Amino acid sequence: MEHILPWDLTVIPSRFFLFSGAAWYTVQITVLGVLLGMILGLIAAFGRLSSHRGLSGAARFYIFTIRGTPLLVQLFIIYYGLTSIVTIAPIPSAVIALGIHNGAYIGEVFRGAIQSIDYGQMEAARSLGMTHRKAMRRIVLPQAFKRAVPSLGNQLIIALKDSSLASAIAVPELMLKGRQMGSSSFMYMEMFIIVGIWYLMMTSVLSYAVHRVETRLKVSDRD
Amino acid sequence: MIVTDGTDTLHSSTEQSKKRQKKPTYGEVLRVEHIGKWYGDLHVLKDISLTVQTGEVVAIIGASGSGKSTLLRCLNFLEKSQKGEVYLQGRRIKHHEKQLNKLRQELGMVFQHFNLFPHMTVIQNVMEGPVQVKDMSKAKAKKLAARILEDVGLSDKTDVYPAMLSGGQKQRVAIARALAMDPKVMLFDEPTSALDPELVGEVLAVMEKLAKAGMTMLVVTHEMWFAREVADRVIFMDEGVILEEGDPETIFTAPKEERTLEFLKQVLPPQ
Ligand SMILES: Nc1ncnc2c1ncn2[C@@H]1O[C@H](COP(=O)(O)OP(=O)(O)O)[C@@H](O)[C@H]1O
Ligand SMILES: [Mg+2]
Repeated sequence: MEHILPWDLTVIPSRFFLFSGAAWYTVQITVLGVLLGMILGLIAAFGRLSSHRGLSGAARFYIFTIRGTPLLVQLFIIYYGLTSIVTIAPIPSAVIALGIHNGAYIGEVFRGAIQSIDYGQMEAARSLGMTHRKAMRRIVLPQAFKRAVPSLGNQLIIALKDSSLASAIAVPELMLKGRQMGSSSFMYMEMFIIVGIWYLMMTSVLSYAVHRVETRLKVSDRD
Repeated sequence: MIVTDGTDTLHSSTEQSKKRQKKPTYGEVLRVEHIGKWYGDLHVLKDISLTVQTGEVVAIIGASGSGKSTLLRCLNFLEKSQKGEVYLQGRRIKHHEKQLNKLRQELGMVFQHFNLFPHMTVIQNVMEGPVQVKDMSKAKAKKLAARILEDVGLSDKTDVYPAMLSGGQKQRVAIARALAMDPKVMLFDEPTSALDPELVGEVLAVMEKLAKAGMTMLVVTHEMWFAREVADRVIFMDEGVILEEGDPETIFTAPKEERTLEFLKQVLPPQ
């Protein structure tokens, strides 16, 4: 084998599970980041849909700046840039940056989903005497969430891969582990193949899960 | 549905005179005065005034674009008119969220395109108003919904989702959903216009039953049969005004206005 390829791929199985701790970090910062992103996204969506000028302007500004700048810049601003005011540890920094970053994208997903719900739904709810808020919560949002599931799943997969940037601020996740293992063994190719397989496994599980959720939600729908 | 009117007291033997009998009324329930509505420069409703008596069935007819839907929607403030007032049982409705939500509870609305809640089963659709707006217990609302669904002939569909229903069934659920709020007036905006012809009958039958039971109804319709046979009064709208109104027989056989005659010629099959 060594004579054919310059790498020793046979080490992959034996080293593979040395990465499980790092993978767990990846999962955690991704999940927490996306949860934060959903909250921020919901706020951003309502902001943009609001008739209040200040609110919709603020939401627009948030989405514009975040989507127009790299996640790495946002990460560094939170981890390095803010040090003169607060020091935030690497893991919380990563979660916050991922949350703010994904919030902008998820906000647009939610906004699109809410706007895609036929206005007749809101009118029917209002004609029963529901307040706008209740009509949103009971009638529009449940349908909008359903419609947002595929895009949210997609965003979750992107976030999982984007979380690798947290290696740049020393979060001990998969990517950093790969770099450390590579430099200590000089087997960069082997180690990054392991890292790649880990990501691929996780994204595959996610796609499958999203697909399952989608089909389950389809039971009642289609009108 | 409890039949409350006393149509049969002045009994008469012929079909003709039977259907022409006036229902007894119990005073005005809904009144609008001088409604003016513009969409930008488009003057859609021009100084419309209208009083509806309790138990009355009013059919609103008129060409497409004459402002029929807009009028209904201004009554329950789904659209806000720039001018005019709405009175419910003599009380003026202020443009205040709380009052509007109260008013809407009293005015059941049935839409052309049903607007059922697709993420809820049939019975959940009907329960939603009482539970969410009137704070009725789920158990009580369920009983109420089951009873109303029986009235509209859908006892066997309570647990299916709207997507599984035919158009006629959907519209009957929509009527049940509005009835569950126990409204004082029912507003119908072309309830059969989106239906395949063979499904129109089942919806009109439910509406007729409702009318017979004494429900106050305002019905925008192109079903001239319904306007003529079921309504107590017919209103002809043209270009944002009530051009003519009267009892169905008069409107259909001897309209005063040229435009009414023209319209009726277009929609009625030639004699
Ligand atoms: N949301 C709206 N924006 C602008 N114009 C409208 C709107 N709704 C209705 N209109 C216009 O108002 C007029 C009356 O419409 P409508 O009340 O729907 O008539 P009808 O129900 O009698 O067919 C039409 O000319 C229509 O194009
Ligand atoms: Mg209309």
